[in-house]
Amino acid sequence: MPGTDLIERFLAAAASTTASVETVQRDDEALNDALLRSAGDGPIIFASAGDVDPNLFSRFRENEKVISHPTIDEMKTIRVGVTDAFCGIASTGSVCVSIGRELNGPVSSLTRKHIAVLDGNTIVPRPRDVFSEEYLGGKGLRRSFSFITGPSATADMGPLVRGVHGPGKLHIIVLV
Amino acid sequence: MRDNYPDEIHPREVANKSSKESLQKAIRMALRIESDALRLNTQTFNANRYTAVGKLEDYEELKDRAREIKESSIRNLPDLIERLTRAVESRGGRVFLAKTKKEATDYIQSVCQSSGARLVVKAKSITSEEIGINHVLQDVGIEVAETDLAEFILQVSNEQPSHIVAPAIHRSRERISKLFKEHFKTEKSLDTGEELTEFARDILREKFLAADVGITGANLVSADEGTILLVESEGNIRLTTQLPAVHIAIAGIEKIIPSRKNFGTFIELLAASGTGQPLSSYTNILEPPLDLPVLNLNGREDTKREFHLVLLDNGRMKMREDPDLKEALYCVRCSACMNVCATFQAVGGHAFGGECYTGGIGGAWTVGTTGKLEDGRFAELCTGCTRCVPNCPVRIDIPRLNTVIKERLMKSEGGASLEKRFFGNFSAMAKFASLAPTLSNWINNLSASRTILENVASVDKRRKLPSFSKKTLVREYEEYRKKNAPPFGSQAMPRRLVLFADVFTNYQNAKVGMATVRVFEKLDLPITLSKVMDDGRSAQSQGLLDSARKSAVRLAVYLKKLIDDGVDIIVAEPSVLSMFRLDYGRLLDAEGVFSALKSHTFDPVEWLNGFADRNSDFANRLESRMKPAARPPEIFYHAHCQMKTIGAGTAAPEFFRRLGLKVETSNVECCGMAGSFGYKKEYYDISKNIGRDLGRQIEKSIQSNASVIVLASGTSCREQIHGELSRNVQHPIELIDELL
Repeated sequence: MPGTDLIERFLAAAASTTASVETVQRDDEALNDALLRSAGDGPIIFASAGDVDPNLFSRFRENEKVISHPTIDEMKTIRVGVTDAFCGIASTGSVCVSIGRELNGPVSSLTRKHIAVLDGNTIVPRPRDVFSEEYLGGKGLRRSFSFITGPSATADMGPLVRGVHGPGKLHIIVLV
Repeated sequence: MRDNYPDEIHPREVANKSSKESLQKAIRMALRIESDALRLNTQTFNANRYTAVGKLEDYEELKDRAREIKESSIRNLPDLIERLTRAVESRGGRVFLAKTKKEATDYIQSVCQSSGARLVVKAKSITSEEIGINHVLQDVGIEVAETDLAEFILQVSNEQPSHIVAPAIHRSRERISKLFKEHFKTEKSLDTGEELTEFARDILREKFLAADVGITGANLVSADEGTILLVESEGNIRLTTQLPAVHIAIAGIEKIIPSRKNFGTFIELLAASGTGQPLSSYTNILEPPLDLPVLNLNGREDTKREFHLVLLDNGRMKMREDPDLKEALYCVRCSACMNVCATFQAVGGHAFGGECYTGGIGGAWTVGTTGKLEDGRFAELCTGCTRCVPNCPVRIDIPRLNTVIKERLMKSEGGASLEKRFFGNFSAMAKFASLAPTLSNWINNLSASRTILENVASVDKRRKLPSFSKKTLVREYEEYRKKNAPPFGSQAMPRRLVLFADVFTNYQNAKVGMATVRVFEKLDLPITLSKVMDDGRSAQSQGLLDSARKSAVRLAVYLKKLIDDGVDIIVAEPSVLSMFRLDYGRLLDAEGVFSALKSHTFDPVEWLNGFADRNSDFANRLESRMKPAARPPEIFYHAHCQMKTIGAGTAAPEFFRRLGLKVETSNVECCGMAGSFGYKKEYYDISKNIGRDLGRQIEKSIQSNASVIVLASGTSCREQIHGELSRNVQHPIELIDELL
């Protein structure tokens, strides 16, 4: 059970990557409110790999704006995506998002804004801990995933620009 | 597309530097067109790296572990390739081991053709540049879209990468705007980074949505799981690996490590050493073919994901058998060695690089993968300053690799040139010249002899050669000793002290040697002088390794005996000290001798500072030993590159602060003179370009305080600064001598 210390460090590190980050009570109503507030207007694609308790998304999934089975056109055009994350990294403010049977991978890469939902209990101290059996029951050793650390960025065009091929905005909701 | 290169030279034309002429042309082009953007961008990476590694509490341990993993992986490579093949195939992927570039491109072409590909999206991969896959596919009518924005720029400009992590680092925003406006003939304003990024992103998004095949490289591959690690910040690798149904990854065989658990050692090191971030935006851990359903956003009806891992040999197995070049296989391609390198900061990889591999590590890689020694000629641009050594996350001795290439190249081209013999045998030359120093100095500065030197030994006419001391250190010391008995000595002194009479100090800097003797004895620390002996530095810098080795062995025997007799050796010339503490590890075949030298040789101020650290009485007395001064001097100090590498770079500022003085320090990695490098006609302009960088910093300091005293420990650093600012520059020990 990670202490509040890990969560505090995670919040500070995530903010320094220019992601926006908030803590939300582990409750389906609260999560639904937070997600809708952050997503703004327009449709939302939702993908969950079951890394965060699926029941917590029950209210959100019912919303008519939320698309769980997108068409090809919707995949190409929708601007906001919500996924769960299987862990967070306190030292870097990263979230680890699975790439598997569900659409977490493309939803977190194709959209302009990605909202990641993270259970505060799954925050580990450092990136290397994801590759250890000691943490997360070794989950990080047996799946495809991406460490996502802030929005996509480039300095190739001269100054640092956020928002390249991946989302230009990353919002993280930490369930506590 | 020559318009952005008003000079007649385009980087592509001089990508291959097997001839001296192409190297010279490339240097001229880079200094004229690319230098400003390069310096700004590499120095930003460099500063960010220092901050990022400073936050890794176990940075040194991580480097040790990374080195061990890479060493054992290369040792067990055939076994790892087998394990990896089994792991990928058990998941339905395919592994193809390509012995040559041709085998690799043939295979990739056949995969693309059999999947009916018309458009391939590609992520940045230097290994794919090595095999030249783009041209092969384009020649059979398959479009290749480079999706990393830097590679996208290069595809438009038809340039080769100038840096292994940021391939378009040589282009300023302004030069990118100009290029895009001319090439795309768009009405859009493309005058900011945001506009340029959005413009390129929109073009590439269409490519992603339509692509049939995705090609990536791999930062690391784990043998037991067949997992690939891919680091990026733009998100193009994520799209390349997830959107098309077919994914081809190209990886050099040296990228294989045993297991995914080992990723933990590298993941933070790579990000910190490369872009200077705690982690890049995306670190992808993939076990392809992915479980993700095929998306068919391209309108195809593919039902199954395909994964092909192309493992490239192309000379690597041969490098593995080469006792020297093998080191390069440990490289994790982070680019720290480029960002920290003063030469690279000035000219980048279009001059200090080959057709795809750049910088200090690029020489060995170019020679290893092309099989042609002359292709690695740009290794000459490594000055041996060693700043890359402590910054390499896998502890590769990169200057050593370049020395080996220089040596082999020289031997293959019929032995040492006059130029190399001139610079490489400083000891004999100095001994001869100092028989009549006044005459030698006079001849040195004659215009006619400068012209001869330039023609015969490539010594640039615009450089003033260091002059010879009127009396050698040995003679000055003998005269001093006749008048001054050694002091009684402090009880606290752990060991006796001997000042090493290196050839530079003896023949050209006797005053620094004498200042050292006087300072120690004013502080009641008796010191004697050693024999004059050559240390091998100048031979080594010219790639004359056999000669360097001989000098090293002779000198090491002599010094080891002194050390065994309870002596600490004081060395006034930093490049000589660095020989004892760094290079002798390779030159001597005797670990015990090297470790004795390493732990008992010191810069004079370093020794004093260390003594003050351990001896509070001495430390407390220091300030009171200073002569009363109306106004305490303020100091600007430039630490010698090699002193920083061996950990002696902070001693002088610390010592002056003990004396209550204000010290400002430079953050320039190397002054650019680097022993003989800056004297050579071919490299004069690079050296001056670097020197100006240091000069600007000192000028800034002088502007706020005109009486600031400029100090530098290295002889060549002092020459360089003097040449830039026409200002007196002292060794720190000379100032201490004046203050006491």
